[in-house]
Amino acid sequence: MQITTSQPPTVPSRPVSGLLSFWRFFSRSRTGLIGFWMLIIAILVAVFAPLIAPYEQGATTSVGIGDIYQPPSAAHWFGTDDAGQDVLTNFIYGARVSLTVGFFAAFISIVIGGVFGLVAGFFGGRWENFLMRFTDIMLVIPDLPLTVVIVALTKPSLWNIIFVIGILGWTTTARVVRSQTLAVKSRKFVLRARAIGASKLHILIQHILPLVLPILVVQAVLAISLAILNESTLSFIGLGDPSAPSWGQMLNFAFGRGAMSVGAWWALVVPGFGIVWVVLSLTLLGQGLEQVLNPRLDTHYLMPSRPAVQKEARAKPIQKDVLLDVQNLSIHYVGEGKAPARAVENVSFTLKEGELIGLVGESGCGKTTLMLALLKLLPSAGQIVNGNVFYNGNDLTVMDEEEINKVRWSNISIVFQGAMNALNPVRTVGDQIGEAILKHEPSFPKNKINERVSELLELVGIATDHLDHFPHQYSGGMRQRAMIAMALACNPQVIIADEPTTALDVMIQAQILELLDGLRKKLGLAVIFVTHDLGVVAELCDKVLVMYGGVTAEYADVDVIYNDSKHPYTQELLKAFPDLTKPKKKLASIPGYPPRLDNLPTGCRFAPRCPVAFDRCHTDEPALHLLQKDHIVSCHLVEASK
Amino acid sequence: MDRTRAILRKAAWSVFTIFFVIILNFFLFRVLPGDPARAGIRDPRLNKDAIEALRVRFGLDKPVINCFETLNPVEFGSCTVNPMETQFFIYVRNLLQGEMGYSYHTNRPVVDILGERLWNTVLLIGAGQILSIIFGVTLGIFAAWRARTKVDYTAVGASLVAWSLPTFWLAILLLFWGSTIGLPVAGKATPGMSSYPLLQQWGDIARHMLLPTLTYTIVYMGEYTLIMRSSLLDVLSEDYILTAKAKGLNTVQILRDHALKNAMLPLVTVIAINLGFTVAGVIQIESVFSWPGLGSAIYEAVVRRDFPMLQGAFLLIAVTVILANLLADLTYNYLDPRVRVE
Repeated sequence: MQITTSQPPTVPSRPVSGLLSFWRFFSRSRTGLIGFWMLIIAILVAVFAPLIAPYEQGATTSVGIGDIYQPPSAAHWFGTDDAGQDVLTNFIYGARVSLTVGFFAAFISIVIGGVFGLVAGFFGGRWENFLMRFTDIMLVIPDLPLTVVIVALTKPSLWNIIFVIGILGWTTTARVVRSQTLAVKSRKFVLRARAIGASKLHILIQHILPLVLPILVVQAVLAISLAILNESTLSFIGLGDPSAPSWGQMLNFAFGRGAMSVGAWWALVVPGFGIVWVVLSLTLLGQGLEQVLNPRLDTHYLMPSRPAVQKEARAKPIQKDVLLDVQNLSIHYVGEGKAPARAVENVSFTLKEGELIGLVGESGCGKTTLMLALLKLLPSAGQIVNGNVFYNGNDLTVMDEEEINKVRWSNISIVFQGAMNALNPVRTVGDQIGEAILKHEPSFPKNKINERVSELLELVGIATDHLDHFPHQYSGGMRQRAMIAMALACNPQVIIADEPTTALDVMIQAQILELLDGLRKKLGLAVIFVTHDLGVVAELCDKVLVMYGGVTAEYADVDVIYNDSKHPYTQELLKAFPDLTKPKKKLASIPGYPPRLDNLPTGCRFAPRCPVAFDRCHTDEPALHLLQKDHIVSCHLVEASK
Repeated sequence: MDRTRAILRKAAWSVFTIFFVIILNFFLFRVLPGDPARAGIRDPRLNKDAIEALRVRFGLDKPVINCFETLNPVEFGSCTVNPMETQFFIYVRNLLQGEMGYSYHTNRPVVDILGERLWNTVLLIGAGQILSIIFGVTLGIFAAWRARTKVDYTAVGASLVAWSLPTFWLAILLLFWGSTIGLPVAGKATPGMSSYPLLQQWGDIARHMLLPTLTYTIVYMGEYTLIMRSSLLDVLSEDYILTAKAKGLNTVQILRDHALKNAMLPLVTVIAINLGFTVAGVIQIESVFSWPGLGSAIYEAVVRRDFPMLQGAFLLIAVTVILANLLADLTYNYLDPRVRVE
């Protein structure tokens, strides 16, 4: 579903080239920056250890019994250990061991995993089968015990440890790289390179590797932290390299040699702090990279939307006999540190019982936003900044969540577009329809629910034995019908159909439209029909509201729209719609795209694309002109002709 | 039926993997320099006859496998020997009969020791998993529900820190803290408790379990929080949540009836994959708290160079993890209707 502003297609996403631009990209993530600087500090400490450390490494000459486990003092900031050595000095040198192990082991893992993943993903076939099966096997064998076994059987030297950790840590990388390679392989420019006969190696290195690289970097960061943790564990259980005292070994010695019993907490706390610092820095760095490379919005439908702006005086519905009376509704999307996107501005319309109104416009013109706002279903950034929605004389915009929940579905229901995701995949369709009934009629006898659901399904032409099926067992057209059945479940007076036929083929589209129209006549429903297809509108609607860039372009009876439209946008839309009476006429499309709602042009929003725009259109926003009863046009030309 | 076939295929893969682990386990100990059997008989006080007697006892007089007398150093041998008379097949046969040799350290059958210890580890992992899943999932739900609020940031921050803690270090810190407030910090039971009534014995074990379980919970909770949060965030931005909201369901109803099951499905797989990693944590926790489980068995075997124990413990752990993975796979198949029906 498209709620946000749509924009012109951007350049195909190629990897960000250049370190500088990557840095600018990366520094947007605060988490990542913190991790990055923490890691830099650790690396600096490791590199300049001899300069920073207060004592020489391993300076144990003249150790008296009184030097062992000395508490922190001016001479030894973090006390001394079981051998009378300065804990701070060992701590600083320990950074060298941990980081060495981390970087080299991760390098081995990444090279193996990267090659396996690339080869499996790119070449496919037998290679892929073999490599991925092998990866699966290695993935389920717990790697730390295996590491322990191998290191215990061989010499516990630093390089041995690095080698073993590295050679066992490639599995996740191989899997991730493979799936990324698969995804990249079918991109256009890769296919193009293949078509012009580039060699496989060339394609792999020139086209695929750059796109896999970012993921390899994230994997590398994670692999380093895992290697450091594994090394510290190995050292802690006594399998470390005695000639390269790491943080894990400091802990092993302190724990094994009585630090606990003499209460020498410093010998236990300080080395662990080092491990936490480095691993945390890498974790944060990984998170940051992930956020930047794979951005997600962290917003969802349960986040509370902003309350409607309080109106100074409570408006009253104008006409008595209308079901739905929308007056001057304005909706903005408010983002932190950004100018609000004026998604809908000053839109009014009315709907009587049994009436069908068509809401027409290109994608990104605020149609869906307007519909969601009617039932206060806007995402958290959306806010009703002005206007009212009267349903039977009650203003929906000022209702709280509990009140509006009673109106939703039982009075006004929605048929969403793209019904695949609009139905919960893990519950049966019948169950989901029944849920709506029970919610609004809690006293409905439970044993009659299935009967009622069957009736509804029959009404929309679905055989009742599909009641217990899951959405994925339905075809696209059936899902859309099921959505309509669900929308009818509580006998609403108004149904909002939000592009209910967009993703369907022409035959099914016609069936669904016929169905909706039939139900309207049979049940006396009022329908708001959102579409970008003027043809649909011509057949079904009583009234048409044409929206452009969030504002009303034209609002009139369907006959007026077809025969006497005044707004250039309406006229252009009509030209883009095939006319059977003049089959030779060329179809015209409107060049350009609807404006970005957070970056609207001054003056008329349609002016940049308007074939008849003049100076004033680029400076002044046109007012809504009421030409005759229920014919509204927002265009300077109308005023000029008056 | 396709479903039965899929299950059989998965089970067959698990069997194959177990077989791979057995081979790996056998040859690692033969190829790598620290040959277990030789290490056991390398005692300089033994004379030639005694060594020969020991070699016969451990079956080392037989060729490793057809064509190879020994693998380290490589010594070729006859390829026509009866396979059943080689070390490898004797090892496999013994395994099938539930034999894993004798511990160098205690001279007891490895199987017996592991059998006792397996249940202690299962107890610890069970308690730890249940607690970390309950707390982690709950925290994850709150973080996702209240995304981009202080609750969310705190939960994510704390989880990242918990994830970065070396398990053994956290265990040491908790042990330190536990000893100052008088909690038992080592072993599974207070000596002499066996003469007390059963209820009191259980209470004693529970007190001993407190710190190890707490360590386990803290270390693995963070991960579950992060996974649950991101999984629930994905689900909550699905269109069917908007449908549910439009239907007039309130927040609690939407979470309970439309979001949680969907969000928890991926967690099943994660829990299984995690089991492999939790083994790493269990080795550390058991070592620090001297909890008599498989993890500390590995630790002690390493310290004492007790290779039959190490070999046996590794095999048992690997097989357990493989079977747990299979179980999770099947559970997932059963829970997710999209997989179930296809």
